[in-house]
Amino acid sequence: MKKLKNQGSNICFLVIVILLALAPILAGAGIIKSTSMVLFLGKCIAFAIVAIGLDLIWGYTGILSLGHGLYFCLGGYAMAMYLKLQETQGGITDFMQVGGLTELPLIWRPFQNIFVSMLMVFVVPGAAAGIIGYFIFKSRVKGVYFSIISQALTWAAYSMFIALSPYTNGNVGITEIKSLFGSIKGSGNIDNMMKVFYLALLLLVLAYASSKYLVDSKFGKLLIAIRDGENRTYFSGYKVSKFKTFIYVISAVFAGVAGAVFVNFNGSITPSQMTISYSITMVIWVAVGGRGTIIGAIIGAFLINLCEYNLSSGSLVDIWQYIIGAIFCITILFFKGGIVGLVKERISKVDRKTD
Amino acid sequence: MEQFVNALFNGLSLSSIILLTSLGLAITFGQMRVINMAHGEFVMVGAYMTYVVQNIVAVVVPPSMQGIYYILAIPVAFFTTFLLGSIMERFIISRLYGREIDSLLATWGISLILQQAARSIFGTQGVNVTVPSFLEGGITINGCTFSLNRIFIILLVLMCLLGMYLIMYRSGFGKQMRAVVQNRSMAQCMGINSRKVDNITFAIGSGMAGIAGCSVALLGSIDSTVGQSYIVNSFMAIVLGGVGKLAGTVLGSSIIGFSGIFAEQYTSATIAKAIVLLIVIVFLQKRPQGLFIVKSRSLDE
Repeated sequence: MKKLKNQGSNICFLVIVILLALAPILAGAGIIKSTSMVLFLGKCIAFAIVAIGLDLIWGYTGILSLGHGLYFCLGGYAMAMYLKLQETQGGITDFMQVGGLTELPLIWRPFQNIFVSMLMVFVVPGAAAGIIGYFIFKSRVKGVYFSIISQALTWAAYSMFIALSPYTNGNVGITEIKSLFGSIKGSGNIDNMMKVFYLALLLLVLAYASSKYLVDSKFGKLLIAIRDGENRTYFSGYKVSKFKTFIYVISAVFAGVAGAVFVNFNGSITPSQMTISYSITMVIWVAVGGRGTIIGAIIGAFLINLCEYNLSSGSLVDIWQYIIGAIFCITILFFKGGIVGLVKERISKVDRKTD
Repeated sequence: MEQFVNALFNGLSLSSIILLTSLGLAITFGQMRVINMAHGEFVMVGAYMTYVVQNIVAVVVPPSMQGIYYILAIPVAFFTTFLLGSIMERFIISRLYGREIDSLLATWGISLILQQAARSIFGTQGVNVTVPSFLEGGITINGCTFSLNRIFIILLVLMCLLGMYLIMYRSGFGKQMRAVVQNRSMAQCMGINSRKVDNITFAIGSGMAGIAGCSVALLGSIDSTVGQSYIVNSFMAIVLGGVGKLAGTVLGSSIIGFSGIFAEQYTSATIAKAIVLLIVIVFLQKRPQGLFIVKSRSLDE
């Protein structure tokens, strides 16, 4: 029983990974009829990665960011720009011509090269978060003030992305792109789809393992210390703002990678993934799954998205918004630990009975 | 010169709209430390109430007197959102005092529900209210045109501001409210029913959102996301002005409103808004507590 308690989250994660790994094989064998389900699971993997990132800063460090959509999009756009240029063989795209540009803008140039582009997926969100985090945490903006500022920042970035439409294609975003390994839609491209899917799964495992390592280390204890008593941590001689900035950057990089994975499966990226409401949706996943546990973030991301995928088609589309709003509200009010918290409570109850 | 006066007037108009949406927040966030993300949806409810009142009046009253619907709409919108706020405080907010971040998230859940409710009732298409006849047109002075409905909104804001000031600083209830905010347990010892005070305070803040909704309805079409577009600016106005001070809210809204309009002279409207927000964020690095600071020796203020 004790072992189950200590290893519970790892076992849970293993089960999720195995189930996911089976999905494309089943689709290949024709047991899952539509490949769109697999593509959707791929997107869920991306969502799980960004949820892990959010959990690191919210669940562990107590910083609620309402702007992770921004980093998600920065990573996503970096990937999408590379993929779009693959399509045009490094030439100028349609929307740039419509916007009045005659040659490829400077900001797009680095994305002609695959290595630079992949680097950008990490560097752009990381650097953005580094600059923002450094200044905000240095001036000791915390709690809800940080949330409000992060939401304003995201909103500002969102309007910028829409206004600079010759460079970003505004509201429409970058569309009609193939994945890293070529087209993944349709039954003829199952090989490509498997490659992308397993790469994404590998990234999820890496994200899980690295964040698990982080939170189990002394650094992780410090994060929790910051969450529970920021001033005490200061007085104990730790430079809290540095730690906060560091974890914020890590979390933004996770979001960026997630965005890049998402683009591969979705085939497009739009600024709507950058909005405040989308960013808070990510927080909902973490809250429902269970904040402060890595596995909770993953479970939440999969569960909510799978529900949405199944419910938000047809007649239930209206009701879905009510359900998600109510679930979120009730979770915050009565189940602070989310699903994982509930399960943990039950296990410790059973534990006490058997003792 | 004409252009300058026009810009000044537009700035005043924008500031007054931001201020109107911020006034409610100045109470709920500034006094009670509750981050009501559904405030934007209360604005939306107020706007839709204006639409509903207009449609009812159109049936009951002869066409020549249609304009009076707007006068009726303001109290109706106020009391609807007042009631909504009161219910919400009773069942949700009251469990979340002292948990600021959780209050933010729980009210977001409410805002999702309210948005969907608006879509279910009024459809996804935006609806419009007809501007009442006495607010049509404008006054032209030396070639500068001041549209009447914008002047009306400025006056409405001044009225609300005066009302708020009287409630907060010149009434018995305001005294109780400030006492509860400053020292809850001491206020309770003095026989103040703090539960009731909390409830009414939150409801008044929500009611302000309803009035803001009435003015928003004059400016453009109403849909389920109409509140969202104002809420970011309002929150920033509160933070910039300094939480907990009415004067700070006024100054914060004016700075955001005027600088937005003046930035618009040089670039497009969306970029101007983004630039203003970025400048405010940079400014907050220098003064994280905002312009008006409530002095306190507490560590976590």
